[in-house]
Amino acid sequence: MYKKITWFTIVAILVLIGLLSYGCTKGTVAPTVEQPGTAPTEVAAPTTVPEKSQITIVIAEDPPTFNGAVNQSGFDILVMELTLLGLADLDEEGNAYPELAAELPTVENGGVVIDEENGTMDVTWKMKQDIKWEDGTPVTANDLVFTYEAVVDEETGYWIPGIDYVDGVEKIDDYTAVVHYNAIYPGYLTQFGGYLMVIWPAHYCDAEQGFASWDCGLKPLSNGPYVLKEWVQNDHLTFVRNPNYYEQGKPTIDEILVKIIPDGAVRKQMLINGDADLDMWTSENIVAELKDVPNVEVSLSPVDRWVMRIFFNLAAKGTTDPVAKPHPINSDLRVRQAIQMAIDTKTIAETFWFGYAKQVWTEFFRPPYNLCDVPQPVYDPEAAKALLEEAGWIDQDGDGVRECHGCTTGAEDGYKMEMEFITYSEYGETLDLTQEYIAEKLGEIGIKLTITRVEGTVLWESTENGGIEQSGNFDFDIWDDGYSGSDPTDFLWGYYTSAAAVPDYGLNYGRYLNPEIDDLINQAYTLDEDLRKDLFCQMATILNRDLPELLLFTTVDANAHSSRLQGVQSNANEIVTWNVADWTLK
Amino acid sequence: MGHYVVRRLLQAIPLMFIISIFLYGLVNLAPGGPLAGRGSSKRLNPEQIAILKRQFGLDKPVCVRYVYWLIGNDWNRPVGEITKPRAGIFTPIIECLDPRSYLNAESPGIGKGVLRGDFGNSFRTRKPVLDTIKTSFKNSAYLMSITLVVVAIIAIPVGVISAVKQYSIFDIIVTTLSFIGQAIPEFWLGLILILIFYVWLKNPLTGDSLLPPGGMYTQGAAFSLIDWTKHLILPVTMGVVGWVTWYSRFLRSSMLDVIHQDYVRTARAKGLTLNKVYFKHALRNALLPLVTIFALDLPYIFAGSLYVEILFSWPGMGRLYYQAAIDRDYPMLMAILTLITLVVILSNLLADIVYARLDPRIHYD
Repeated sequence: MYKKITWFTIVAILVLIGLLSYGCTKGTVAPTVEQPGTAPTEVAAPTTVPEKSQITIVIAEDPPTFNGAVNQSGFDILVMELTLLGLADLDEEGNAYPELAAELPTVENGGVVIDEENGTMDVTWKMKQDIKWEDGTPVTANDLVFTYEAVVDEETGYWIPGIDYVDGVEKIDDYTAVVHYNAIYPGYLTQFGGYLMVIWPAHYCDAEQGFASWDCGLKPLSNGPYVLKEWVQNDHLTFVRNPNYYEQGKPTIDEILVKIIPDGAVRKQMLINGDADLDMWTSENIVAELKDVPNVEVSLSPVDRWVMRIFFNLAAKGTTDPVAKPHPINSDLRVRQAIQMAIDTKTIAETFWFGYAKQVWTEFFRPPYNLCDVPQPVYDPEAAKALLEEAGWIDQDGDGVRECHGCTTGAEDGYKMEMEFITYSEYGETLDLTQEYIAEKLGEIGIKLTITRVEGTVLWESTENGGIEQSGNFDFDIWDDGYSGSDPTDFLWGYYTSAAAVPDYGLNYGRYLNPEIDDLINQAYTLDEDLRKDLFCQMATILNRDLPELLLFTTVDANAHSSRLQGVQSNANEIVTWNVADWTLK
Repeated sequence: MGHYVVRRLLQAIPLMFIISIFLYGLVNLAPGGPLAGRGSSKRLNPEQIAILKRQFGLDKPVCVRYVYWLIGNDWNRPVGEITKPRAGIFTPIIECLDPRSYLNAESPGIGKGVLRGDFGNSFRTRKPVLDTIKTSFKNSAYLMSITLVVVAIIAIPVGVISAVKQYSIFDIIVTTLSFIGQAIPEFWLGLILILIFYVWLKNPLTGDSLLPPGGMYTQGAAFSLIDWTKHLILPVTMGVVGWVTWYSRFLRSSMLDVIHQDYVRTARAKGLTLNKVYFKHALRNALLPLVTIFALDLPYIFAGSLYVEILFSWPGMGRLYYQAAIDRDYPMLMAILTLITLVVILSNLLADIVYARLDPRIHYD
């Protein structure tokens, strides 16, 4: 009898666990965020309840928090854009426009005052006076000062782009504040806005918890178009229209459901079946699949941002000084030029990227700095072979791999032209195929590549944690990067200056050292647009001559959406929800 | 038995301790780290990284971090500047052995340590990891326990009939299906299920898909048992296939051993019906090893299933662990791994106890 009971007890316990979990699961909904201060409106009760409009956005991961500056997963920025505003944001062309600000401060309107003598500047932000937090408290300069102080707090703060150039933020009156810069900083318009930053409520967030850890990052007080109603961890978030949103008549859609759907194939099918209205970050292969699907549209960003590029390590693998220990293969410019000639970027773009990748060969391909005359490289494997011969790389033993016979890089005679070719695994099949194709093409001209794929966290970690790039532990690799907005200065500094070649101080992983470039980039920290255009074109010429990086093509910034959802505009400078207040349902 | 259980529980304490050291070392020393990619265009410099490390508690040697993780650091008091040993290859060892390394230079900590139930805050959300685990655990337990029950309901009769009808058409079909079931990649099966039941098959009355592609329930809709059940069908099916084939094959084998024994023959000779012989006398003994395996599978209830949870958007432990691994969210990883270790140890103990209870020949004392 006892044995029988034991067996059935196990089954009964399992059923019980299931039922209990089932019961408990109903209660796992995160505490519903109340909407404090929602002003009662005196409207006659309608005779019939109008049907609420709702859309569903499907994304791959649960947002870590609503603070996009901290984790920068993209999913946090998506929900941040639904609920919180910055001083200014970026449109699809990369132009800044005011959000909380009444107008954009410029030199012309007196909002920016430059002290040429000391090389500093003050930026005066005048804020709109009709924007309120969802509890009815006005959004004021106090919130701007509070946000700044939280960011720069030594113990609990968090670094954001450009913050090193800020000496302080001073409140002038309730709706005016001055940001004091210790340098001329061209990216000042998105200092407290743009892709990553918003203004946080001083009366609601707990400064002691810290910018990166405060509870208001999980239960935000909205001043944006939507208010968080419910967040069920790893499952969904529900947002309802903010009735106090400052733009009259907006937003028009009552409710937004953000569902966490990890699998891309399922997200695509939900869109096709009409169970989703927007699939964030649609990849090139899915865009191609959805091209002819009825009731689905794909919004492409008019301006591209992410550039797939090859990084040459100019220092010997495992070292970071290209002068003392030059790379035995890459340090010869003719080798880099030969590699450029041997890669058929056009075929890659059309085949593996389904025609959505656009060839680029200079950093200055985006307006307003796409004015430089840099010749497009030509795919010519025969010329590449000749260049390698000239550089002293000859295949004498006939095994298909060249060896050093008179090369000028310091490599020993007979040194094989073999290198490791690394990329990161998270991007997926398109990049994997591209990497394999490039390895094949370079193999045809006698350069043998061993393909390696690692996690991004291993590739980009600091030297202390064995980060491959920062430690210089690579020959050459391929991945993508680009800048948000229209100011490339910080981005260029990070990738091409000598200061950024110091391990852990920048992204100049190839250790490209050129005082000329250093000088040009330092000069580019100015608000004189004509001068900047000239400087950037000089840089373009030098970078094209030296080839420290090989820019190949841009990747698509696309978001697929249902045809009934109108107003969606992909924006490479922002996340797709940047203009959510303008969305309508057909 | 009581003594045995107490002894095993006491043995589990040093075992947990040793395993936790290994886990902590593996998690913290694995390539990559939680700070990779932080900062716009990954441009944090060492000074900024140092601030983040302090916030995350990564500014101490691994051995110190382990001690803090275990017993907390709220007992610490500021002691002023601490001279660090000169850098060298033995520095980590010197730091670990130096008691001053365990003191805080400036401010006391706030961690209570796992021995006092504090697993720390997630690097991803900066909130207590146990809060997040609690929610995910409920979801995984709900799915996995129902999956295990369905497995038992299907596998037991199939295994028994296969054995008593050995080499019959039924047995051949079941054997073939078992091999197919074990050979099918779980992820592929899930995609096919979605293709059939979400994409192809429609409800003839409403025109909607026959079954939802994922999630636990329809968001925003009023509670409905039918709705929750519909959301369970595909993930449970995906989970059940592999297990049923394994369990039914195991039971078939166990049953074949039993039904050829003398006491079964005696029972038949006494004139008992075949059903009574097989299901009352033989099955009870054939189930003994299966019960042990079943108990050993109990940790899955806690750990969840990664593939099922990803494909069917199920917010459970598998996905939570995967995300933590990608993010190198050390506190979350350690909490999940420690709890899984604990559940595995307890499940092993449970298996031994149940086996002893079911089989009078087994004595532990």
